[in-house]
Amino acid sequence: MAPYLSMGEAHRRIADYLSRVADSISSSDGAALASLLAVSSAPPSTPLSDALSAFPDFPRLAADRYPHLSDLLPTLLRAIHSHSLIRFADAYSSFEKAANAFLQEFRNWETPWAMEAMHTVALEIRLLAEKADRELATSGKNPDKLQAAGSFLMKVFGALAVKGPKRIGALYVTCQLFKIYFRLGTVHLCRSVIRSIETARNFDFEDFPVKDKVTYMYYTGRLEVFNENFLVADQKLTYALMHCNPQYGANLRRILKFLVPVKLSIGVLPRITLLERYNLLEYADVVTSLKRGDLRLLRQALERHEDQFLKSGVYLVLEKLELQVYQRLVKKIHIIQRLKEPAKAHQIKLEVVVKALKWLEIDMDVDEVECIMACLIYKNLIKGYFAHKSKVLVLSKQDPFPKLNGKPV
Amino acid sequence: MMASHGAGAAAGSDAAPAEVNVVGHTNPSLYLPITSAHHSWPSSTGAATVSWNYPQDNPSQDAIYYDPQRDVSVPGSNENVASSAPHNVQPSMDTENATHFHVPHSSSLQHGYSPAEYANYYYNYPQTTNDSSVQQGGANQHSDCARIWNEQLLLSEQHMECSTTSGHTITITLCQILLVIQLGTVTQLQTPLLVTPVPVSSHPHQELHRGKVIQVLLLHLLFRLQVLESLKINIITRQSRHTSMPQNNVNLNPVQQSNNGDQQKTVFVTPETSNENKVQVPRIAPGFSMVIPKSEKKILGADLAKKPTYVSVSMLKNGTDARSLPFSLRNYATRNFNHCKDEAQRAACQSMIEEIKNKAIADGTLLTKNWDTEPLLPLLGSVATIKETSIANNSSLSVPSSTFTHRRRLKTRWEPVVEDKVMDKVEPIKGFANGNTHSNLEAKNIMSNSWDSRKALQSHQAPAIKVSQRRAKKQKMSSYSGLMQNGNASSDSDKDQDLTKYYASATALANSPEEKKRREHRSKRFEKNLNSSSKSKNSAASKDVIANVHARKAVSALLTRSCEDGTSLAVEDMDWDALTVKGTCQEIEKQYLRLTSAPDPATVRPEHVLEKALSMVETSQKNYLYKCDQLKSIRQDLTVQRIQDKLTVKVYETHARLAMQAGDLPEYNQCQSQLKRLYIEGIKGCYFEFSAYNLLCVMLHSNNKRDLLSSLASLSKEAKQNEAVKHALAVHSAVSSGNYVQFFKLYNHAPNLNSCLMDLYVERMRFEAVKCMSKSYRPTVPVGYVGEILGFLRTNSEASEDCEIWLKAHGAILSVDSSGDLQLDTKASAATLFMPEPENAVAHGDASLAVNDFLART
Repeated sequence: MAPYLSMGEAHRRIADYLSRVADSISSSDGAALASLLAVSSAPPSTPLSDALSAFPDFPRLAADRYPHLSDLLPTLLRAIHSHSLIRFADAYSSFEKAANAFLQEFRNWETPWAMEAMHTVALEIRLLAEKADRELATSGKNPDKLQAAGSFLMKVFGALAVKGPKRIGALYVTCQLFKIYFRLGTVHLCRSVIRSIETARNFDFEDFPVKDKVTYMYYTGRLEVFNENFLVADQKLTYALMHCNPQYGANLRRILKFLVPVKLSIGVLPRITLLERYNLLEYADVVTSLKRGDLRLLRQALERHEDQFLKSGVYLVLEKLELQVYQRLVKKIHIIQRLKEPAKAHQIKLEVVVKALKWLEIDMDVDEVECIMACLIYKNLIKGYFAHKSKVLVLSKQDPFPKLNGKPV
Repeated sequence: MMASHGAGAAAGSDAAPAEVNVVGHTNPSLYLPITSAHHSWPSSTGAATVSWNYPQDNPSQDAIYYDPQRDVSVPGSNENVASSAPHNVQPSMDTENATHFHVPHSSSLQHGYSPAEYANYYYNYPQTTNDSSVQQGGANQHSDCARIWNEQLLLSEQHMECSTTSGHTITITLCQILLVIQLGTVTQLQTPLLVTPVPVSSHPHQELHRGKVIQVLLLHLLFRLQVLESLKINIITRQSRHTSMPQNNVNLNPVQQSNNGDQQKTVFVTPETSNENKVQVPRIAPGFSMVIPKSEKKILGADLAKKPTYVSVSMLKNGTDARSLPFSLRNYATRNFNHCKDEAQRAACQSMIEEIKNKAIADGTLLTKNWDTEPLLPLLGSVATIKETSIANNSSLSVPSSTFTHRRRLKTRWEPVVEDKVMDKVEPIKGFANGNTHSNLEAKNIMSNSWDSRKALQSHQAPAIKVSQRRAKKQKMSSYSGLMQNGNASSDSDKDQDLTKYYASATALANSPEEKKRREHRSKRFEKNLNSSSKSKNSAASKDVIANVHARKAVSALLTRSCEDGTSLAVEDMDWDALTVKGTCQEIEKQYLRLTSAPDPATVRPEHVLEKALSMVETSQKNYLYKCDQLKSIRQDLTVQRIQDKLTVKVYETHARLAMQAGDLPEYNQCQSQLKRLYIEGIKGCYFEFSAYNLLCVMLHSNNKRDLLSSLASLSKEAKQNEAVKHALAVHSAVSSGNYVQFFKLYNHAPNLNSCLMDLYVERMRFEAVKCMSKSYRPTVPVGYVGEILGFLRTNSEASEDCEIWLKAHGAILSVDSSGDLQLDTKASAATLFMPEPENAVAHGDASLAVNDFLART
């Protein structure tokens, strides 16, 4: 509970806040303005929020004192007030109005001095929208604020995607949009933003700040995982990993969470220590199964972490590793056979493979195994041919088990 | 048969053959597609003109008379009409004209007066289309047509002017004066009409035989100049709308002929003529399906004089030169035919019409009678339905008017259609009750009352509603508008504005001061009307219905206005429960038509009937297209009544299964998405079965990884234990690893209808498999083996034969080995395999939309 506050003191505090905002605008101090606009990070009780509670006529005060900012300041104060009262939906609505007013002002400022503040607004509106949506969802209402924040950010993007120094700030807003779209499950909306970032002439990707580039690459890499474009995904996620600040372990983990399955699918296995270091042990069994050719282990691992994999969207990628596991299994059989009978090493009888799978407690009949062998050859995981009449897999004498070497299956 | 009739008619010059002719004409129209009726008009112009001119004694007159038609272009079937067109038809036309003439004022006034209603009318007819015909033209189409006609009419008018002036200058001037005077008086006469609807016109021009048409035309011209351009437009719009109406009634069988008739009217009716008549006919026609027989032909020659036949100019007095029936009668017959549901009814109807016609000829009313206002003949076994409908309507009477206010968000066209229909149904009852004995005058009187209350305009009239004859209504309408002119003092420019509203969007003008004033005025009237209608509730049942209708209509008009005011309620504030339709239709079978207007309770089936309908579909032996159509109409009825329960789920499940079996994925997807929603709402159904279908559909047909992921993620542990879901998951793993052997094993042992969804993927899977085999197998694979593992066994025990055909069709190269077994030459095939184009592929991607199929459906 906020301590008692005299009207005068409340008035003073509010006036102080207002003058700081106005001063930072008049002196073009972007950093100061940005800190003043951070609504959602404030604790429930701040000197300002207490003052707002004690002085309910604050909107008029703000409007009277700074008529040229009468669109921005009253709504901003209302947003701060509602936020301190844990009324996030109201806070969001007010903040959105303030943000629109701010965007209007921002458009008129020729220099990008307020870019930091604009970015703060973009971040704040997303965070507030998420809070508001949680609140709305628990009260059984339609959580549509994040979507609204998305359309506001599109406006911001439009204001930034212009010629001139402001364009540098566009990628940050793009990343905020990605975050919203991924949360809402409307990733198809990313496409238009990506297109304008990647094709518009006024953007040179290298000009953008590194942090934004990393975030951008992370999200676009994830999109490529959904599309099963593993090569592009690998490229983008690797870029993100290489440029990510190594101090931010959580971000590295996020990137690796998608990069590991992508690398697995193109035949690159991580060290277990890497998985341990970034707490990605859910992949450990998958990696082991690939090394051993243990189909059963792969299936178990997938089953065990199914929910997690499905949620992050890598399930289908990991599922496709099966063929590589088969390849490994046949390779092991081949190696054993070469030790036993060097003369017939390149001829693997189907029944041997069937028996091996039986040991792994995989229930497959001869036809299915034959089909799998055919698939392995078809997908270039095995060089050779299958003789149907004699039910023998005939391996090529040269490099019968070609490595993927960065190529997807 | 029809053709022969027509021919006979053409040969004869008497009234008797002419009757036949009518039948002949109306019938063919039943079989013409509606759309063609719409579009064929311009193209058939030439024929029409020729034919029209041919039989006339006075070519000049007739040519002029019919000239406009040429421009408007009537379908080719006119030939018969033309050749047989008797001169004695013209009197009747004149009568029509007369009515038309005095109407112009009324109609235009009315427009200016209550644009909302006008809009209602405007949208009225699409509804009828929905009710009875397969065509899904919808409002837009019609309105387009209307517009086109408009233009044509305008053109045609100019045409007329030219031709007229060339020949009959003197007559024209004379007539002009006369007519102008007459018209002037007419306007004023309207008012008295209201109270004592005695037909006004004393018919000064009856003596004129020739050049009357010209006069009329000139009159139009003059009138146009003198009065207002807007009027004309107004009227024409109505007419054109009007003209399209008959088609709407038709069940699959467009009424080309009726168009003919209407068209003609439209043509010579010219600007001022737009008759209420015309407006009314279309509206009433559909409703008359339930009409009880009524044959009032008491209009004698004497009545003719009384009729408001201001325009009787073109009328020829004697019946001797009559070679065809009045167009209005032809229309009437057409309407009746359209109404018939089957051959038996049609036959009965035909004989009845002939009887009526003979009678009319016998007592000389053939040409004087206003056929447009004649109620439709009763259909066999439709009486029961009427009663039900009226009861249902009564029950809705009690709905508080407040609930209606929620409708304001709805489009203008929503409300009135229903009322009109109800009204139409009611009228026949009344007419029946009162028999045929009413004099024209009386009828008019009565009608004016009923009309007033119906229109919610004049509550002071005693509700002594006995008979509603449309002609009376017409009179009433005009008189009413006359009254309104006096009382409301709406200026011409106002009318103009109202008109534009219908062409452009209504918003711009909605808030003009005049508008507001008029709105206020109107709303007061509506209140009054509500009162009066509730008063009349206690009288006869039929009256109740009417009152109800009035109330609803009034409210709807009110709503329309408020909608224009922009004060409408937000969607979420609407009381949807109060708006939900309660169906009254008892028919089990119903054709699907996409709604373009508010559902009519009379055509919506209540839940218990829908249950019967569902079981009928389930047991039906007919093809998928039929069943799909039926199920869609069931779904529609469920939706408009907002029924969401086990039956709904069952309907969607049934439809989804049928669609799967027929390979109709789009339809299946519709059902699936509805089912998803219904299951989430907790309605029990075959949830697991459809989860499996959903999985299969997403993995095999949508190829959207995110959808698949979310579908997989949404499966509960319980669901994963279900046999069907397990099967679907196994299919998924087979597909993702390319394990065709497993795929076809699963295909052959699929639970439920899983195999139906797999069916659509089989071709692709087989092709992939053969490609895989030809790359990995050396030197050969027995075709028998391929057939076996690729699931050919399922359809035919001679797997290898089917397989062989399939392989050859896909470019595989086969050879016979030493033991005589057919082998797939893998190395050779690897280069030659191809995926043949699907044979049934169509440009628009949906073979079921092919014209032939579409026609076969009906």
